[in-house]
Amino acid sequence: MTMTPTQTVQAFLDAFARHDVDAAIAVVDPQVSVTVHPFGLESSGADVLRGVLADLVRGFPDLMITVGRVITTGDVVTALFKAEGTQAAGYAGAINQEKHLDIDQAWRFVTGGGLITEVTAYWCQAQLYRRLAVKRYDEIAIA
Amino acid sequence: MTEVSQRPRTAESAAAVVTEFFDRYRAHDVDGMTDLCSINADFSYVPVEIWGKQRVLRGDGKVCTVGKPLWTGLIASFPNLSNTVHSVTSNDEGDVVAQVDVEGTQQLAWGLIAPAGRHYCEPHLFIFHVGADLLIDSIAAYWNDAGISQQLGHNEVD
Repeated sequence: MTMTPTQTVQAFLDAFARHDVDAAIAVVDPQVSVTVHPFGLESSGADVLRGVLADLVRGFPDLMITVGRVITTGDVVTALFKAEGTQAAGYAGAINQEKHLDIDQAWRFVTGGGLITEVTAYWCQAQLYRRLAVKRYDEIAIA
Repeated sequence: MTEVSQRPRTAESAAAVVTEFFDRYRAHDVDGMTDLCSINADFSYVPVEIWGKQRVLRGDGKVCTVGKPLWTGLIASFPNLSNTVHSVTSNDEGDVVAQVDVEGTQQLAWGLIAPAGRHYCEPHLFIFHVGADLLIDSIAAYWNDAGISQQLGHNEVD
């Protein structure tokens, strides 16, 4: 039986929360449209999304995803969650200074046929860099 | 009482309230925006945080006490402030999610960003809840504030 939009996104979030990137990508359409506004990323393909998730898990091995709300509006599911973790590797150009990260995010998913066909991620990169002790946007790798 | 409040709340009528909200925002009608909200409507502009030496000010509170001053200040600093609504989705429970680009050209200081006459355009995701009375009782928004800072020529992570 095909999963509902809510079930599809919940399966993605559950897998992401347990750092199981393969299981998260299992509910993603191979041609998924991926937009990550803080990175200026607009692309397509499950491997692109896999890279976004894997980078976060690699950068923050103790990553904790706490979902606050899941809002279903037809085939669109919006998830509001907090991502927390301690940096252990370079991430988004920021060198590892073992800082703690906590960022509220909103991800908007479009679903179809039991798969995620579109993902658009919103968070504030200023908050992220502030927490990772980055001082300037034009010198991100210099602590 | 506004005209929209005469109709029952459905996904369509809730979306219409939000569409009207952005129409009024585009017209810089802050009082009109506030009129579409309940008197105690919750407000959360998630990226807004100003770190002081001993405290952090956040963009959380109520529409009447935090939202309205923020909208007024934003319009004062960006006199040609505008928005483009790309999508609005809603459900019968009154949840409305809108993808909106907000843009403007800076003429006055905004936060710690000195005016340099630069233009910004940044994608936002707004999450509303519209009550049974067809008044907005909750607004939250997410965007990348670093994108705005950089477009305005401000490279410090404050």
